[in-house]
Amino acid sequence: MTLAAYAESFEQFAAGLPPGQRAARREQLGRFLDAGFPTPRLEAWHYTDLSALGARRFSPVDPGGTAPAVEWLAETDRLLYLNGRLDRAQSTLPELHADDSSAAAADDSVAALNAAFSSGGLHLRLDRNQRLPRPLHVVAFGDTAAASPGMVHQRHRIELAENAEATVVFQFLGRSAGRLTTQVVEVSLAAGAKLTLYRLQNEHDGATLLTRIDTRLGRDSRLHAVTIDGGGGLVRHDFNMLLAEAGAEVELSGLYRPAPDAHIDNQTRIVHAAPHCRSRERFKGIVDAKARAIFVGKVIVQPGAQKTDSEQHVANLLLSRRAEVNAKPELEIYADDVKCAHGATVGQLDDSALEYLRSRGIAGAEARALLLRAFGAAILNRIAIPELRRSLALQLGLADEEEFEDAAAETLA
Amino acid sequence: MATQPQDIQELMRRREYSAGFVTSIESDTIAPGLSEDVIRLISARKQEPEWLLEFRLKAYRRWLKMEQPKWAQVHYPPIDYQAISYYSQPKSHKDGPKSLDEVDPKLLETYKKLGIPLKEQEMLAGVAMDVVFDSVSVATTFKKKLGEAGVIFCPISEAVHEHPDLVRKYLGSVVPFGDNFYAALNSAVFTDGSFVFIPKGVRCPMELSTYFRINERNTGQFERTLIIAEEGAYVSYLEGCTAPQRDENQLHAAVVELVTLDDAQIKYSTVQNWYPGDEEGRGGIYNFVTKRGDCRGRRSKISWTQVETGSAITWKYPSCILRGDDSVGEFYSVALTHHRQQADTGTKMIHVGKNTRSTIVSKGISAGHGQQSYRGLVRVLESAENARNHTQCDSLLIGDRCGAHTFPYTEVRNPSARLEHEATTSKIAEDQLYYCRTRGIAEEEAVSMIVNGFCKDVFKELPMEFAVEAGKLLAVSLEGAVG
Repeated sequence: MTLAAYAESFEQFAAGLPPGQRAARREQLGRFLDAGFPTPRLEAWHYTDLSALGARRFSPVDPGGTAPAVEWLAETDRLLYLNGRLDRAQSTLPELHADDSSAAAADDSVAALNAAFSSGGLHLRLDRNQRLPRPLHVVAFGDTAAASPGMVHQRHRIELAENAEATVVFQFLGRSAGRLTTQVVEVSLAAGAKLTLYRLQNEHDGATLLTRIDTRLGRDSRLHAVTIDGGGGLVRHDFNMLLAEAGAEVELSGLYRPAPDAHIDNQTRIVHAAPHCRSRERFKGIVDAKARAIFVGKVIVQPGAQKTDSEQHVANLLLSRRAEVNAKPELEIYADDVKCAHGATVGQLDDSALEYLRSRGIAGAEARALLLRAFGAAILNRIAIPELRRSLALQLGLADEEEFEDAAAETLA
Repeated sequence: MATQPQDIQELMRRREYSAGFVTSIESDTIAPGLSEDVIRLISARKQEPEWLLEFRLKAYRRWLKMEQPKWAQVHYPPIDYQAISYYSQPKSHKDGPKSLDEVDPKLLETYKKLGIPLKEQEMLAGVAMDVVFDSVSVATTFKKKLGEAGVIFCPISEAVHEHPDLVRKYLGSVVPFGDNFYAALNSAVFTDGSFVFIPKGVRCPMELSTYFRINERNTGQFERTLIIAEEGAYVSYLEGCTAPQRDENQLHAAVVELVTLDDAQIKYSTVQNWYPGDEEGRGGIYNFVTKRGDCRGRRSKISWTQVETGSAITWKYPSCILRGDDSVGEFYSVALTHHRQQADTGTKMIHVGKNTRSTIVSKGISAGHGQQSYRGLVRVLESAENARNHTQCDSLLIGDRCGAHTFPYTEVRNPSARLEHEATTSKIAEDQLYYCRTRGIAEEEAVSMIVNGFCKDVFKELPMEFAVEAGKLLAVSLEGAVG
C-alpha cells in the first residue's frame, strides 16, 4: 500500500494554509501516514476494507463543478458546500462557517486524514436557552470537473448550551463518481439541550463516503437522530454517542438501501457513562442486487451507570442471492441494575402478507413495493419534516410521485 | 490481576520441585520447553507412526508463526510456553493424598454439597486407588457391553495403534492443525484424550463419559478428543463432572473434533468445574479450548450442551459446520462467573447445506467481579437454501461490579435465510426475590432458585443425572454472591 499520493497532495494543500496551522496539520498527516487506511485486520473494520484507497490519487483542491440546483426545504436556513467550499450565494447563514479545524488528537486514521486536510465547516454555537428558529439545512455537494477525482474533508461542530434547541440536517448529494469525502461532526449538548440531527446521504454510487458523528450528552439533554443511506459506492458511517451525565436520552433511527453494487457500513456506539440514561436505537435495511450492508451497534454500560434503559434493534430484508447482510448488535455491561435488550433479524418479505395482499387483488411487484414501503416508513416517519420525508421516500424508491401522501405513510407505519 | 504472573511462576517452580523428587524409574517427564526435539521425543515415547509425527511437526511449525490471539474480552498475564513441561507419563497415584483425611476439608465440604458418593470423592481428589476396586470397576463392565455393540471407546493414543486408518482419516479433518493458536499448539503436543467410533446404524447402548476413563484422568492439559458417528449412529458423550477436580496444570488447550455422517447424531455435554482461582483471582485454570463438529452427512445432528462454572478464564466456542443438507446444529450453554472469573464463550454455526437449522441458547450469569461475554457467529453461505437460525442470549447480573457482554456476528449471503437474534441483560427482579422471601425462602436460596429457573432451557438438554448435579453446582458456585 502506498500513501505517497496523499503526502504529495498534502504539500500542495498546505501551501494554501495559514502558516500557523501547518504544523498541527502535518502532525495529523503523520498520524494518518503511520497508520494507513484501516484494513479488516482491525476489529472495528472487520467488514470494510479501505486499503485500496491507499494507492489512489485524489486532488486536494477541487475548484471545478457547477453549483447545483438544490431542492431546498421551504422553511430552513441553508449552507451549501460545493466540493467542500462554502457557496456564499446559496447560503443564507454564511457566518456560521468556520475555516478553523483545531481538531483534537484523532483516534483513528480516517479521522486523522480528515483533520489534516479539513477545509472546515459549520460551527453552530447556541447560547443558553437559545433556539434555532428554523431547521438548518447543510448540503455537501460533490461535482468534479477536473480530470482527476477530488477529495473533500469537512469538519462541523455543534455546541448547544443549557436548554438550547436546534434541528440540523446534513445532506450529501453527488454527481460524479470516484470521489472521496470524509466528514466529522462534533456535537456537544449541555444540560437540557435538545438536538434533532438528520444525516441523509444520496451520493453518486461510485463515490466513497466516510462520515462520523461524535456526540457528548450532558445532563437531561436529548438527541434525536435519523440517518438515511440511499446512495454512495463505499460508505462507512460511525455514530458515537456518549451519555455523559444523568438523565440523557438518545433516540437513533437508521435506514439503508444500498445501490446495486454498493457497500454500506453503519457502526454505532452508545456509551452509558452515567445513571438514569435512556437509549433507543432502531435500524432497518433493504439489501438487494449485489449490495453489501453492515450494521454493528455497540451499547456499553459503564460501571456505576445504574438504571440504564437501553434497547437496540436491527431488521434486514435480504432480497437477492448475491447480496450480503452482516449484523452485530453488541452489549458490554458493567452495571447490574440495568435493562438492556437487543435484537437482530435477517429475513425476507413475509409470504403470508404477500398472500393476503394477493387475495385482496394486489399482486406481484405492487404487493412487494407496498410491503417495502411499510418496512421503510417505520424509520422515515421519525423525520419530523414532512417535506423531507416525502423527498427521501421518493429517493429511496419507497413511494410513487403521484400517490404519495403523508397520511398514507402514516397508516402504513 | 497483577499478582498472577507470580502465581504461574510459582506453579511452574512447584512443578519442577516435585519433579526433583521423582525417582529414576519414573523420570519420564521431559524438561520444560518446546522445540522440534521435544515433539519428536513425545512422539517416540508414544511409539507413534511417522504420519502422526509429521502432523505434529507441521502444527508446530505453523504455531511458531502464529501470535497469541488478543481479541477475546479476557485479561491475563502473558504465558511463557517455554516454562511448560509438555510430556509426563500419567502420574502414578503415589504422589496423591493417601486417603480422604489428607484432602482439603473445604473441597470435601463441596463434594458433600454436591452429593457425591464416597468412592467417587476419593477418585476426584486423586486419592490412591485400590487396584482391586479399579479392576472390577464399572468401567470394565461397560467396556464389554460397548464392544458387543461394535463401539470403539478408548484413549486416542491407543486408537492410533489399534485403528490407525480411522484416526488418520479423521484427525485434523474438522479442526485443521493450523486452525488457531491453541489448536496448533494442541496438535503439536497433545498427549492423550478420547477416541469414539460408532459404526453404521448403531445406537450407543449407554452414555459415554470421560469419567469412566479413570486411568487416563491426568492427561488433561492438551487433550484431544475425536468422535465419529457413522451413518445412522447415535451417541451421547459426557465430558467433565460437576465436582472440582485436582489438577496441577494451569493452561489447558484441548481440541475436540466431532464428525457425523448421514442421519447420525452426536450429543456432547460438558460440565466444567475446574479450579477458578481464589476470591482474589489468584491461580485458577486457563481453559482455551477448540471444539468443532462437522455435520458431514445429510440429516445429521450435532448438539453441544455446556455448563461452565469453573476455570479462571474460559475461552471456548463449540461450533457446528452444517455441511449436509437438512443437518441440525444446537448449542445450549450456561456460563457462570463469580469472584474474578472471566469467560468468553459462545458458538459458531456455519450453514453450508440446504435446509440447515441451528438453535443457540446461551445463559450467562455474572456475580462478584466476574466478567463474561457471549461471542457467536451465525454465517449463512450462498449454498444454504432455507437456512434457519434462532439465537437467544440472556445475561443475569448479580452485584454491581460484574459485567456481561454480547458480541453476536450475523453474516448472511442467501436471501431465503431467516435469522433471529435476541438478547437481554438484567438483574434478578426484586419482585421475584420479594415473593420468595414472603414465602419464607432465604435470600440465598431464593437467588439460587431463580438462577436455576433462568437456566432451565439449557438444563433440560442435559442428561438427567447431570441436570440434577448442575443445579446444585450453580447453587454452590454462587455462594456468597448475595447479601
